[in-house]
Amino acid sequence: MNTLRIPMIPPALALAAALLVTPREAAAQDARQVMVEAQTRTTASSQHYAGTLQVFDAKGKISDKRWTFDRLGSHGSSKSVLRFTDPPEVKGVALLVVNHPDRASDQWMWTPAIQRDRRVALQDRSQRFFGTDFSFEDLEERDVDQYDYAMDGDETLNGAPCWRVVATPRKTKTSQYTKSRVWVRKDNYAYQKVESYIRSQVVRVLNYSDIQNVQGIWTGRTLEMTDLRRKSRTVLRLEELKYNLPMKEQDFTLQALRRDQ
Amino acid sequence: MMRYLLVLALLAAACPAAGQTVSQRGFLEGSGLVYFRPTATDDRQLIGEALFRQEASWTPAPWLSLAGAFDARAATDDRVDPDWRFDCADRGLKRPAACVRRLSVAFRRGGLTVEAGKQFVRWGKADILNPTDRFAPRDLLDVIDNEFLAVSAARATYERGPNTIDLVWSPRFTPSRLPLANGRWAIPAAGGSPALLAAGTLPGGTGLPVVDLGAIFPSRPQAGVRWNHVASGFEYSASVYDGFDHLPRLDASVNQAAGRVEVQRIYPVMRMAGGDLVWPLRWFTVKTEAGYFWTTDDRTDDYVSYVVQLERQSGEWLFVGGYAGEIVTERRTSRDVPLASFERGLTRSFLGRGFYTIDVNRSVTFEGAVRQDGRGYYGKAAYSQQLGRHWRATTRADVLGGEAGDYLGRYRRNSSLRLTIRYSY
Repeated sequence: MNTLRIPMIPPALALAAALLVTPREAAAQDARQVMVEAQTRTTASSQHYAGTLQVFDAKGKISDKRWTFDRLGSHGSSKSVLRFTDPPEVKGVALLVVNHPDRASDQWMWTPAIQRDRRVALQDRSQRFFGTDFSFEDLEERDVDQYDYAMDGDETLNGAPCWRVVATPRKTKTSQYTKSRVWVRKDNYAYQKVESYIRSQVVRVLNYSDIQNVQGIWTGRTLEMTDLRRKSRTVLRLEELKYNLPMKEQDFTLQALRRDQ
Repeated sequence: MMRYLLVLALLAAACPAAGQTVSQRGFLEGSGLVYFRPTATDDRQLIGEALFRQEASWTPAPWLSLAGAFDARAATDDRVDPDWRFDCADRGLKRPAACVRRLSVAFRRGGLTVEAGKQFVRWGKADILNPTDRFAPRDLLDVIDNEFLAVSAARATYERGPNTIDLVWSPRFTPSRLPLANGRWAIPAAGGSPALLAAGTLPGGTGLPVVDLGAIFPSRPQAGVRWNHVASGFEYSASVYDGFDHLPRLDASVNQAAGRVEVQRIYPVMRMAGGDLVWPLRWFTVKTEAGYFWTTDDRTDDYVSYVVQLERQSGEWLFVGGYAGEIVTERRTSRDVPLASFERGLTRSFLGRGFYTIDVNRSVTFEGAVRQDGRGYYGKAAYSQQLGRHWRATTRADVLGGEAGDYLGRYRRNSSLRLTIRYSY
């Protein structure tokens, strides 16, 4: 499932290449290397968690939701199923995401009350997912090959020194966002913050906190997504988080969505 | 029914306890309706109804799962059978007070899933009308507020890569539940069909009493196969069906000796070949579905039914709008007899649906259909608010209008306002 292969380069060739590249190219290369390393360190054969969500709207109203999340593979070669478990009226509603390394994911939503699945069209990916501040696109797995990168400096966030990297989606990657600014911690390559832009305006901010080492993978156990246009935010806490559990391909299909309701 | 339960119990007992997952959900719902006007067949304008639904699923082993659902209901009018017997067949004219809504067992191995029992089988990709959805009879006691009935069937689904083959075999026929003859959704007497069952009414006005001789249910099984392909960026399917129309033809004959008119519900042979397509484009998603229907029945039409709809999500809005059409390729019924079929009755119409999320707890929905010649329409608007974790209140207004001879227009006296309170758990 690992899509990343970092080739071994002979030292002499590497030195020659380093002498030829401009500082700007070198910075871009550094940015990409940071993101590749961040992706490599979070690669797992599978992931499972139970998510607890609290949605706060502009007036402070709270709605609680819970879902379970299973992912087979990592990043661009992964499939995931997200299934609501609470509140009772949305229990069983599920989303299947089939990620691709080179383009936007395919997504289907299953609604048990009407026993139908609905393909989530590309132009609908910018919409909020079930009243949360995550859009359908935010539930995709990112892959390093879908973006071009540029180093944007260093910054210390929450006491942790971070690289600031600007990620711009490539043409093959259909995205609502013009670019993203990603803060990657220098000590463990974990994401600390992601700002997502439409043109020059920041529209969503995702903050990672409670970063823990779970089975060798540094993971933010609390994610706070803020929708700056709606002035609302959603806090997602990852519970029962486990990596590398045995999972089967046939549990990540449209039939499985229907069957495992 | 007992055989079902016994088999399920044996299967469950044979499975190891470890790794089992049990899931359940349900709700209790109470509704109050006000109809603004009485009808010729029903002058009750205030109706109350209650529904309790419990659903559960159990996966005793990774290769085996069981799913069941139970309904219990009551109403102040006569749409619910007052007899509290437990009903599994769902073949009665009225809604059973207590019934098994679903009970099935599913086995899986690799990409193959075999499910047997009472289950919901939904085909097609359109949202408002689905010509290819042949194993989906409806409860039409409230015509514009209908819900699907499960069918007794065995279903084998094999999924490999982007292709899925779905085989369905239904040994026992499940009909759609028609509007009651003495209810407010009954088809007017001149329209034939269910209204014939209303005592003393008959086209031409014979004045003879009308006697319901019941239904003749098909004795042979129904079968269908569907192939679905998920391509990059779009998906489509093709399906064929050999069985019976779940909406009946009503045969009336005058029994001179007995001095009465006898009416029987006949379910004509139906064969269908159809397909559907979902094609997401830059600005909207195209969903289309079509079926060609033919029969060996000498009093039923051959026809093509199709739906073309566009779907677009924008901000907090979701819009679905389209057109449902019909082309009769061989007419065997009289043009003067208004359609009794819900599916055919909604064709030659523009259909639409909208959903707007106000905030995390509140939403508004709209739905409507307008006949292309303007002779009939209906519209529904609902406001729904979640109250805490378990409660939801929904208020809905239905408006119907048009001419008496139109499928939608004939329900013009059924505009209503309703309030529903639901407790989900």
